[in-house]
Amino acid sequence: MVMSASPTDGHKSGTGRYLEQSKIQAALDQAQDLGASYAEVRLMAITDSSVAIRDGKLERAIPGQEIGVTMRILADGAWGVHSTTDVLSLPSQVESTVRLAKAVAARRASKDRPVALAEVPIFEDEVHWKPKKDVRNTDLDTKLHHLMTLHDSAAEDDRIVSVTCGWHDEHLHTELLTSEGMNRTWSYQRSLINATVTGRDGDDVVSYRTRHGGQGGLEVIESCDLGELGRSAQIATLRLLKAERSPSGKIPLVADRDLTGVYIHEALGHPCEADLVAAGDSCLDGKLGQTIGNSIVTVVDDPTLRDGYGAHPIDDEGLNTREKCLIKNGVLTEYLNHRETAHHFGIDPNAGARAQDGLHHPLVRMSNTLIQGGTHNDLDELIEDISYGVYACGSRGGQVDTGRGSFQFAAQEAWLIENGELTKPLKDVSVSGLTLQILKDVDGLTKDARLAAPGFCGKGQTVPVGDGGPIMRISQALVG
Amino acid sequence: MLPDDALDRINQGCRSIGNLCKQEGVAQWEVVAFQSYGHQLDIEAGKISLAAGGGEGGYGIRVLEDGRFGYAYLVDADSATPAIKQALDIARASPSVAGFVLPSAQDAAPVNGLCDQRILNLGPEDLLEQADAVLSEVASLDGRAVVTGGGLGVGATASAILSSEGIDASGITTSHGLGVQVSIDADDELTSSYEGDSGHRLLPDVPSCIASAVNWAQVTRGPIEVSSEPHEAPVMMTSEGFSPLFSMVVPTAVRGDRLVRNESFWSGKEGTIVLADDLSLIDDGRMDGGKSSSARDGEGVPTRRQTLVDQGRLVGSLWSTRDAAQQVAEGRIERAETTGCAVRGGHQAPPGTGCSDLTMTSKNGGHAQDALLERMEDGYIVHSVMGAHTANPTSGDFSVTTSTILRVEGGSILGPVKQAGLSGNLAKALSADVHLGDEVRVQGSYSSGSMHLPDVLLMQGLRVNPA
Repeated sequence: MVMSASPTDGHKSGTGRYLEQSKIQAALDQAQDLGASYAEVRLMAITDSSVAIRDGKLERAIPGQEIGVTMRILADGAWGVHSTTDVLSLPSQVESTVRLAKAVAARRASKDRPVALAEVPIFEDEVHWKPKKDVRNTDLDTKLHHLMTLHDSAAEDDRIVSVTCGWHDEHLHTELLTSEGMNRTWSYQRSLINATVTGRDGDDVVSYRTRHGGQGGLEVIESCDLGELGRSAQIATLRLLKAERSPSGKIPLVADRDLTGVYIHEALGHPCEADLVAAGDSCLDGKLGQTIGNSIVTVVDDPTLRDGYGAHPIDDEGLNTREKCLIKNGVLTEYLNHRETAHHFGIDPNAGARAQDGLHHPLVRMSNTLIQGGTHNDLDELIEDISYGVYACGSRGGQVDTGRGSFQFAAQEAWLIENGELTKPLKDVSVSGLTLQILKDVDGLTKDARLAAPGFCGKGQTVPVGDGGPIMRISQALVG
Repeated sequence: MLPDDALDRINQGCRSIGNLCKQEGVAQWEVVAFQSYGHQLDIEAGKISLAAGGGEGGYGIRVLEDGRFGYAYLVDADSATPAIKQALDIARASPSVAGFVLPSAQDAAPVNGLCDQRILNLGPEDLLEQADAVLSEVASLDGRAVVTGGGLGVGATASAILSSEGIDASGITTSHGLGVQVSIDADDELTSSYEGDSGHRLLPDVPSCIASAVNWAQVTRGPIEVSSEPHEAPVMMTSEGFSPLFSMVVPTAVRGDRLVRNESFWSGKEGTIVLADDLSLIDDGRMDGGKSSSARDGEGVPTRRQTLVDQGRLVGSLWSTRDAAQQVAEGRIERAETTGCAVRGGHQAPPGTGCSDLTMTSKNGGHAQDALLERMEDGYIVHSVMGAHTANPTSGDFSVTTSTILRVEGGSILGPVKQAGLSGNLAKALSADVHLGDEVRVQGSYSSGSMHLPDVLLMQGLRVNPA
């Protein structure tokens, strides 16, 4: 049952690897002997730590170790997959997994194409993104010190009834062996700190959340002015207590870089995922090379932006990651893909495969997605000719129907724009629209594009992502 | 699907870790273990795209000394010693909560319907046949309809809890679930609907949600023109459309710790009317076959059925052992004790607090959809919303988008609206003029538990913003 390989036992050899290569190689060979055209074993070991404080007191601290391994077998043009925490049992599952793949293949209709993989370069190496300060060496006192700094600055007002702060760090170690000879090991770290501030004034109760994080160790947290982060969250919470409900209707919208990031993630990023395109579930199907947005819009997805929460050196099919330019000056130039969809569309693989952990198979996913900067100098310049609109800030999340191309995202707070000025604070602002319309309605971007707060993306599996961009103006959006 | 000795092995692992805790001189300890096995299929573009199987599991260790607790999790019982030491170090660095002790052993009657032997006997071939049946059914219902996404799966989980206080329980639960995104892409118009069903018991080969998905993909075609002016209107939300918003907001609001900490929109309103005075909320941790029911909660306390809102009046709240002790120790409430509402998402975290199987009922009973539409006169039917997870559980405010919305005039359905925003405050809307449908359906949750809800007609408090 539960596996018996962890960093503290004898199964991690002197090579620093968990998988016993000779046994895994034998399993891959067996899969091919049984008729597999491709087989891979990917192991992921995660050492992580979560800490939470509530109202200045330690609520919980949880150190953890997880390990999972997934064997993916392609036989007769269909996938069979086996995932387990029992690493040692994997070789015994080869035969049944090949059989599973063949059973799926046997059901394929004559009109459907068998799955095949785009060719990729084969690597045998190790890649380790070393943190400046390995987060595994960070003690609880240090974490509490940072959490308390954030907490204390957020809690300084009688109307703040609660402040909850959280910390999460993880060291991710992946090993991949394939029947094609790929043999790679890679590792990196992620660190995150967050706060949720609740304010109350009579019957009015509001909350505001803030986050800082990225790829790397303790240096990620130390790079942030946590006192300022907490003060900003406190001010925003108090402002929400006085905020009015948002106007509804189609009006000009200006989004800060947090919300711009969520917008581009939901509205464009997901429909650009080639597995959804291939499944007929994307509004961007057949639109490569077409103009789908205003010429000022250029969008990239870049896992090599090392500060981003979605950064990673190698994708989960063993390819070196690289920047993908999804839209160049309004023209759709590239889908995010993995080997299967690259072959399906006859295009070059661009290392877009990510799995949540060692127990999940890779899907096409985003990493760090952002709109490039434009020509406006600042917010004032963007709003000066708006007579009535909304400036929306911070993200409460979003969602997309990729097939229809409709999306929704919610802001944490907002301001009414009247005659080129920010006037009243607003709350409960959400924005919805259609991808193919609203990309054309982006008519202003400030120059200073950069990643915003870290986030998480759900697509059956949850992966960390970074989003961002400049401050963005949309000439007309459905605000509610 | 589940190895014959799965339960024995996790029980053995718990005892092994418990013995190590004793050797380390831990005052109080609790070990939980989960081990799951299952099979699943993914469906994409009208075909099975992948078949998968496997198992996963691990152990969680909670240690307690002088009101201070620590937690660690691991996957290998043989390497528990460092995890126990880590948990102890954390406990010793944590603040003491006066009166916090692990729960003592109590008898707990079993809950029926949580394990279906038929599921244990299923293999991947059975799932493949079910997938074939689902795909065929969709095609037969509408030749244009395609299952563009979704999947189905079966699973079995062996779980155990062992504590220094004498709690020693284990068992096996099963699950069977299915979800499909059905799309109709024809005549330059794409419509779609996602529907799903799941439970501890074996589902029919083709559950009724399949026909419902096809139906909603059909009835939302050919949108009619409506005024794009935002306006307040009555809205009948189907169980499927209402549940995501309800589950995001209401289970959190009735958590005891949030109530006493002023973090709930119902804080300070205990004993007063908070919902329409015909509505009641009941959380039942002991429901036969209940998706979130079990004999014991996440820390081994026997579960119960409790009324949270009785004919509009807030009369109950959800508590776990630690939350109760902490809020009493910090002086926010004079007395509180566990209500058997500790919930766990797995072995990786200590128990939190949440509901189990939550039901909303009306003393006025349920009404057929025709009667609800007649009462509505002019308004909308909403079957799904996008962005329910962005609803604010602290305030109850929400602002979401829907593409499965029908316009109703004079009590009759006029036709679909292409897209609309929908906003309001759920707590306020539920405290006004509310009418329930007559068919309760079980839905999942964005926070905790499972929601047992009929269609809900909200006459006031919602703003509709057609695109």
